[in-house]
Amino acid sequence: MRHIFLLVASSLCAALPAGAAEPSEAEAEGLAAVRNFTLEHNAALVAEAEKLQAATSAYAALISGQGGDYEAAWSAKGPELAAAVAAIRKQWLATSNEYETIEGIVAGLPAMVKYDLILDAGNPGGQPEDVAEYDLPLPDGTVLERPGNLFHAITEPLMWGTDDTHVKLKADLDGDGKTGAGEVLFDANLAVGATGALVFWAKALETDMKAWEPGRNDAFTAVVTMTPTVGDYFAEWKDSHLAGRLGAAFVARSRLADVTGIMGGCQRMYVDAVSPVLAEGGDTALDTSIRGGFDELLALVAETRAREEAGETFGAEEADALAAESQDIAERIVAQVLQAAAKYDVQIEG
Amino acid sequence: MKLKRQFLYHARPLALAALLVIAVLGVWYFVAPTPPAPGRDLADIPFYKLPFGADDAGNPRPFWPSRMVTASGRMADAARLPSSADCASCHRTEFEEWAGSLHAAAGRDRVYEATVEANKVIGRHGPEQARFCEGCHAPGELLSGRTNRFASVPPQDALTEGISCISCHTATHADPIAGNGALTIDFDRAEREADGPQGAALLADPRAHLAAFGAPDTVALVKSADLCGGCHTEIYDESMSRAAVPQDVQSTYVEWRDSWYGRNNITCQDCHMAADPAAQVMRLREGKAQKPDRYSHRFIGANVVMADTRLDDALMVLRGGFLPGVGPELNDVTLKEQFRQTEAFLRTAAGLELRKAEVDAAGLHLAIAVQNLGAGHNLPTGVNDQKHLELEVSLTDASGAEIFRSGGDRPGLVGADTVEAVRWIEDFIGTEGQAIPDHLTFRTAAVVWQRDAIAPRGEDVVHYDIPIAVGARGPFRLQARLLYRIARPELLLSSLRIDMAVPSFPLAELSTQIQGPNL
Repeated sequence: MRHIFLLVASSLCAALPAGAAEPSEAEAEGLAAVRNFTLEHNAALVAEAEKLQAATSAYAALISGQGGDYEAAWSAKGPELAAAVAAIRKQWLATSNEYETIEGIVAGLPAMVKYDLILDAGNPGGQPEDVAEYDLPLPDGTVLERPGNLFHAITEPLMWGTDDTHVKLKADLDGDGKTGAGEVLFDANLAVGATGALVFWAKALETDMKAWEPGRNDAFTAVVTMTPTVGDYFAEWKDSHLAGRLGAAFVARSRLADVTGIMGGCQRMYVDAVSPVLAEGGDTALDTSIRGGFDELLALVAETRAREEAGETFGAEEADALAAESQDIAERIVAQVLQAAAKYDVQIEG
Repeated sequence: MKLKRQFLYHARPLALAALLVIAVLGVWYFVAPTPPAPGRDLADIPFYKLPFGADDAGNPRPFWPSRMVTASGRMADAARLPSSADCASCHRTEFEEWAGSLHAAAGRDRVYEATVEANKVIGRHGPEQARFCEGCHAPGELLSGRTNRFASVPPQDALTEGISCISCHTATHADPIAGNGALTIDFDRAEREADGPQGAALLADPRAHLAAFGAPDTVALVKSADLCGGCHTEIYDESMSRAAVPQDVQSTYVEWRDSWYGRNNITCQDCHMAADPAAQVMRLREGKAQKPDRYSHRFIGANVVMADTRLDDALMVLRGGFLPGVGPELNDVTLKEQFRQTEAFLRTAAGLELRKAEVDAAGLHLAIAVQNLGAGHNLPTGVNDQKHLELEVSLTDASGAEIFRSGGDRPGLVGADTVEAVRWIEDFIGTEGQAIPDHLTFRTAAVVWQRDAIAPRGEDVVHYDIPIAVGARGPFRLQARLLYRIARPELLLSSLRIDMAVPSFPLAELSTQIQGPNL
């Protein structure tokens, strides 16, 4: 729902002053640092997306080389196709990593939130909220209307074979004599179209991001909007530990990787762009408390992720407790940032 | 003589010491910091939104569309509210009983939270419309100003406890007819009391504590059904729904008031807070309008699933995790007792009687009376677009083959979840006439019962005309069960993303043989 507010706010942004007061040198430097950091990773996102597009094109060429017959292609080019799928998945992770690094900033900015919906977080058309407002043209001329976000609604379920609709052939990709979960050849047409769209929208984001003039309102809004979403993301991670859940996304890697990226972005925005405002206003204790909150939150996520990567499994009860703890920390942070926002007459857009 | 000399020797320092103590206390009286006034100004809650504007008198309505208000009209100061875990240091038994109750989990249970989030998305007045829900489910959250798009009030233990100790024990007024949370809560009393002596000093002089939590108006209210009615009456209007005219959604208070129980002053507390609720109901069923010997804070009700310890750790996920001050051991013990009492309680509520079983050329004609034997309100009551009754009827012939089925959990000739199943349930209807099975209050325009709920000490006779195929041989075995479910599967699917049947609980069973000709 955060996106609804941000989208509404984005239309008002142009009419609002960038910040309630002229930023100090430290604040201006902080805002510029956030912008530069975002642009740096945005450029990397474009580069990685282009590599992903190339990888899917290579995969599609193997299929089309056999007249579009997946079974024939697997018979003729099995090892090459298995390698192509592996390369695509690896490249998908590299591309997604770049976006996750800046998602906490992009999704928190009213002017940029539409890109978060399209790239990573939006629902398909027909859903009551947070619809990714774009159509997806495919190489064969088909146009998918409002198909949902590119990373988690389309490419991840496609490339990891969790969306049966786009599975073309079950295939023993790892050569162990069995076709386990995710061992599939997927729709090359959709893969090429979706990765092309990833490149297109990553570049569009970059264009708008270059034109973005960061202000105090933006910084505060991003922090108070995105930080509380940790509970939602943690809940999605937690859900993956409960039996009987429905869902095809977040199979490529743990949702905790996303949480790390998003909360890291929120922390960066706070430390670089908001903290100087409090420091200059003499609110050292409040600033220290908020910084401490972010440290605590990131430490909790990092510790949980380390345990998971070490092979530890989490019961539903413990996962639930971790989600609740993270949400509690986030809400304390946000309450304090809002108190500061009120003191400094900051407009929270939404 | 020796004693007197010693006294004289010590008298001067003793007197000086006494003077010193008096002087220190006197100075302290004047210099001690005065506790801040309880509560907070609305203006002190940054970014707090008032989408419903002012009331007719021009006063802001910070809690609308919940009818709950604070006695002072100010916002509660969340940081100064004692949690129930604080109360537990003295009131241990009451705390442990309450910890297993649904009241304790009311604001944190997973299905509730997810359903509120789903409603927030569709609210015409923004996410603040959810104040309607939070008033009764999480009064601390509501009254301290945390039910807001941007929550500038930090979370506190006391706010996570749903219907906590102070929610009832600082209540000063209730309007059970208006409902929708129509309670006046004087959290200021709790805040003032928290500023005073605690621990041993409180035990030495409990007057301030009594004034805060045992004031005459509150004591009278906590014994009254009016307090319960403030929330157990729910009426949808255009503030929180799409209803053009008010829709009665939950009328438990009025159902009770107009019943034998209301007329005999057997209150909600007399059953739901009885130390042995099932035994209490059985006494009442015998016509003995007596109060229970002892009361408990378990608030035993009908939601058996939310106390079902057989769900293991999934139960704690459903209940929203451990409460402050409640560890796994206490949690397990109190929930097991909650479950045991809830099952026993449910078994006292209803009965089934076969009133007619006639065979003619057209088939078998049955009349089964579904009786409300023990509930002091309608059966079912509460949030009845979810909580509902269903009558399962199964008929087998002499060979054991099932020749008829209606309702129930097992697939059969007619089958479960078919229109033929007899259900006592409300349907929420949207503005376009669409069914709303997942409790989207903010989208609901009308509320319609499929079959009217059964009044206290009343019954509903259900008729079945069952064609019997040629060749079917009697005698026939009729089995009927009155099943209670706490939710529709659609609610679980939308809130928990779990596609599963909701377990049913048999309130009453009937099994009998029907003699019949071989057709």
